[in-house]
Amino acid sequence: MSKVLEMRNICKSFYGVKVLKNIPLELESGEVLALLGENGAGKSTLIKILNGDYQMDTGKILIDGQEVDFKEPSDSEKHGIKMIYQELHYAADLSVAENLFIGHLAKGSGPIGKHLIDWKKVNQDAKKALGLLNVDIDPKAMMRDLSVIERQIVEIIKAIYGNAKILVMDEPTAALTPPEVEMLFKIVNDLKAKGVAIIYISHRLEEVFHIAQRVMILRDGNHVATKNIEEVNSDSLVELMVGREIEERIIELSDNKATAPALEVSGLNKFGSFKDINFKLYEGEIVSIFGLLGSGQISLTRSIFGAERADRGSIKVYGHERKIRFAQDGKNAGIGFVPIDRKVRGLVLDMSVLKNLTLSNWNNLLTLGFFKNKKERAHSQKWIDALGIRMAGGIDTAVKFLSGGNQQKVVLARWLEANVKVLILNEPTWGVDVGARSDIYDQLDMLAKQGLAILVVSSDIHEVLAISHRILTIYDGQLTAEFSHKEASQDLLLNAAAGRLA
Amino acid sequence: MIKFLKKTGLQDVIALIVILVGIIVIMSLSSNLFLSPRNITNLLIDSTTVGIIAVFSTMLMIGGGLDLSVASTAALCGVIIGVFQASLGIFPAVLIALAAGAIVGLVNGILVTYVGINPLITTLGMFSIARGLAFVFSNGLTIPVFDLSGEHQAAYDRFTILSEGSFLGLPYPVIAMLLLFALGVTVLHLSSYGRAMYAIGGNELASKMAALPVKRYRVTAYVLSGISAAIAAIFLTSRLYAADPRAAPGVELTVITAVILGGTSLAGGKGNLVGTFLGVMILSALLNGLRLQSTSTDLQNIIQGLVLLAAVGFEQVRTGNVNLDIRKMFSK
Amino acid sequence: MIILTTKSKNKKSKLFSSDSLATISLLISFIVMAIFFTSQSEFFFTSTNFANLARTLAVVGISSIGMTLVLITAGVDLSVGSVAALSGVLASMFWLELNIPLPISSLLALLTGALVGLINGLIITVLKINPLITTLASFSIIRGLAFVISDGQTNMLNNQGFYFIGRGNILGIPFSLLVMIVLYFIFFIILRYTSFGRNLFAIGASPEMSRLAGINVDKHLLISYTVTAFLAAFAGLIIASQLGSSAPRAATGLEFTVITAVVLGGTSLAGGKGTLIGTLIGVIILRVLNNGLVLMEVSSFYQEVARGVVLLLALSFDQIRSGFLHLRRERT
Repeated sequence: MSKVLEMRNICKSFYGVKVLKNIPLELESGEVLALLGENGAGKSTLIKILNGDYQMDTGKILIDGQEVDFKEPSDSEKHGIKMIYQELHYAADLSVAENLFIGHLAKGSGPIGKHLIDWKKVNQDAKKALGLLNVDIDPKAMMRDLSVIERQIVEIIKAIYGNAKILVMDEPTAALTPPEVEMLFKIVNDLKAKGVAIIYISHRLEEVFHIAQRVMILRDGNHVATKNIEEVNSDSLVELMVGREIEERIIELSDNKATAPALEVSGLNKFGSFKDINFKLYEGEIVSIFGLLGSGQISLTRSIFGAERADRGSIKVYGHERKIRFAQDGKNAGIGFVPIDRKVRGLVLDMSVLKNLTLSNWNNLLTLGFFKNKKERAHSQKWIDALGIRMAGGIDTAVKFLSGGNQQKVVLARWLEANVKVLILNEPTWGVDVGARSDIYDQLDMLAKQGLAILVVSSDIHEVLAISHRILTIYDGQLTAEFSHKEASQDLLLNAAAGRLA
Repeated sequence: MIKFLKKTGLQDVIALIVILVGIIVIMSLSSNLFLSPRNITNLLIDSTTVGIIAVFSTMLMIGGGLDLSVASTAALCGVIIGVFQASLGIFPAVLIALAAGAIVGLVNGILVTYVGINPLITTLGMFSIARGLAFVFSNGLTIPVFDLSGEHQAAYDRFTILSEGSFLGLPYPVIAMLLLFALGVTVLHLSSYGRAMYAIGGNELASKMAALPVKRYRVTAYVLSGISAAIAAIFLTSRLYAADPRAAPGVELTVITAVILGGTSLAGGKGNLVGTFLGVMILSALLNGLRLQSTSTDLQNIIQGLVLLAAVGFEQVRTGNVNLDIRKMFSK
Repeated sequence: MIILTTKSKNKKSKLFSSDSLATISLLISFIVMAIFFTSQSEFFFTSTNFANLARTLAVVGISSIGMTLVLITAGVDLSVGSVAALSGVLASMFWLELNIPLPISSLLALLTGALVGLINGLIITVLKINPLITTLASFSIIRGLAFVISDGQTNMLNNQGFYFIGRGNILGIPFSLLVMIVLYFIFFIILRYTSFGRNLFAIGASPEMSRLAGINVDKHLLISYTVTAFLAAFAGLIIASQLGSSAPRAATGLEFTVITAVVLGGTSLAGGKGTLIGTLIGVIILRVLNNGLVLMEVSSFYQEVARGVVLLLALSFDQIRSGFLHLRRERT
């Protein structure tokens, strides 16, 4: 095997802060190198240097032993370096075929024809490309009309079609279901066999063991280690990433004695999203809804809160039937909601911690429409202390400067300040560092002990098993099973969530 | 106060004050009339139309909105005063004008929030409609607004005093503008309405998910913008003794220039009224000074446009958000 | 084999493609309008009137081509009316004051127009100032320049050759209309079949994606704004030719009519979407509306109101319809 890529002593600073310090990276053709590290470790900066989006301060990049200098992404593309980004970039109002070949649509022939796009050929090529993944997507369909998963597949095909020599995949499976992940792995293996070298970034360690030959770990901009996959196990990997040993979380759930049902959902339906949902959530209980992404759980919880509207069904909070059509209705019914993407839907990033914290409940803080400054500060400080929210610069710091875990706690605190009785959390630890996760789990446990009813949506099976009193599984928009904490196991959950019930 | 200024961006405020002082110095050097009490009074009174509207446009723009229809609305409201004063009396006419301003704002607000049309296009449409209605109601003529019959002298005197009266040497329109700015600062920084504007402009989606009644706040902002145009129209009509469907030409551009000059972001979420006030004063001093040198109004248009570009461009250069790789743009 | 859970959604969406539905609804409203005017005025459905309509189509039609390009890139150009006025003024000033032959004067006016567009584009790409603000400023600056250069005067352009641009016929078809049709054909090909055209859609949908795909985004924007201003300048020459004179007041509100036509034709203000066929239909509908109102002897004041109402109604309808189609697709 030959060394297809070598990065030597890559250094990069932003505004005087070193974010990459002498990073080495070697990649051989036909291998998968997993790149691991917590958020902010420097993974994405390194990748952006490789594809020419950022320029390194010092260091060298060699492709096939030749030094190269990438000024922009199109330069690296010419050398066969292709990227699959975490967030999708596509043109919603253009066809699948055009999205696949944006920037280099096939031209016709002849003196005039060679300047004009040959749409027939574009569509044929697209069909061929889509054949790579064996998917049934119409090349002429608009991206807008595709599901999220279909759009992701188009993105992946866009990257691997053509002369990919080095493929960088940044969390490619985040939105895929297990059979789709398997499919993706098959493709990765195909590409490997063809000699394509792959850099694979993922938070899911089990995937790394499944697919990678070597792992490289970054921490705080430093290269910690590069190892063969046989030399490591998941504990040692986490330790390398976090820099200290993470103690195994000992699950010690307070046994909730069935109290009053805090939330009662019956006969809830939404066409195309979920159907006939019935469950109860009791005071002081943490219930998780586990399912593969796209099974309707997000839409379900959004409908309970009022971020979208169910077609029919009833929602009772502490025995009172509530009509929920808008988020305000959810809040007034005593329901809080922590969304998945807190930077987009959770926080006003430029506003202070204080103002974000009180955003959902001004009632007690106002006289005649004006804020009582002291009271507002006291209220916020109470939650900052209670949840251990850490920030440099105090309560007036813009919330964008906080770490992912602390930002998540701000959203959490907002709903506690709003005095909700039921709290819904969507993927509570996405984008939260491994080290900060157990902290959030502890907080949830504490809140439940104080009587809050908590509904968690998560696709992380370890998380679900670690924090829930009860677990509901969802498949294709329907609840398929219910497990108590004691009954639940990985096998049972996965089967139930895949619609395979014993 | 210092703390408050720090919060609103002390540097920006100082920069604006420096520009204002610079313009005042240059203008007073080139014309000794500039600093005369009479001219200062004129300058301040002239600034009130833009100033009054700018208070509410600032709030609207911080909330992520935009209103290009304010000048047309002001003309329409003026014409409404002119049309209804004869039959109903001057003060009912003023109330109807205020209501009309509110209705125009309400329609804008509903179209933007509930129907979902882009604010630029909505208010550009209303810009045309309101101006057209002003011409329709007035038949394209200037309507005199004073006591033709001689029977309601007292009422009209009270209306005229709105623009002619003064307190401690400050004309009433100027006092009204200053009060509105003071009220605006208080509302923007200390009230739930102001907080909501910053939140909605900063991240509309997150505000929605935090259960803020986003649409209601936004409609309110448009209604207030419409009312501010009506208030400006009342003072303008009082001052001119007449309602002109052509009134306040290009004022929407001056208002936006002043607001952006003052540091409010077009994208929403950022901005303050101290900056807007200084922006209004800078533009007023500039235009007044040019007028004293009998520069044609055409040159004023040019300069106003350049000031707008300079203000935004300077901000871009200062924050380093520029793209100097010009050669690449022309390369193959 | 990946099993996708989309069922037959693709087929369904094709049947109710929002684009074709928009075009159909446009055509229907056009026919309804034509029937209405025919019933109201005996002059409407006459060959004289059609010839008249055909002659007046080119100004808005040609300017709308550029605006379509710019809106597709998610930009906007508010300066087209000002550029058209400046172009007419320059042609006459070069000819009358500098004694440059009229053809060359006209050419210089066109090039100056293009230069304005280039500067707009440079401000947008280099200083990264919002296109709305940039062209709002140049709207003011360029109109001011037209007044300053012409000293506010209307200048006669007595020249048979020049008259041909706006008044001439070839085989009974107005020359300006022929030029417009050729331009629509050329730009239709460009938008549909060239990399440049397709890249504009990509840029409008996502500049980031386009950049990553190796598209020189800034260069495309520069060209779009330059072409837009060039076409606006040409429209200005047609106006001057039709009137036989150039006036700095010419083409007031052209930007508004043009944006209305383009948006009416289904081009999205959010970028990434639009067709020239839609634009052409939008242009024709607006002209017919205007023509019909004139024939019905509706006051020109009402026409301004009608223009705004049509724009807002068209957009409201569009929003409500797409809201209905995407009922199941949540936006928050």
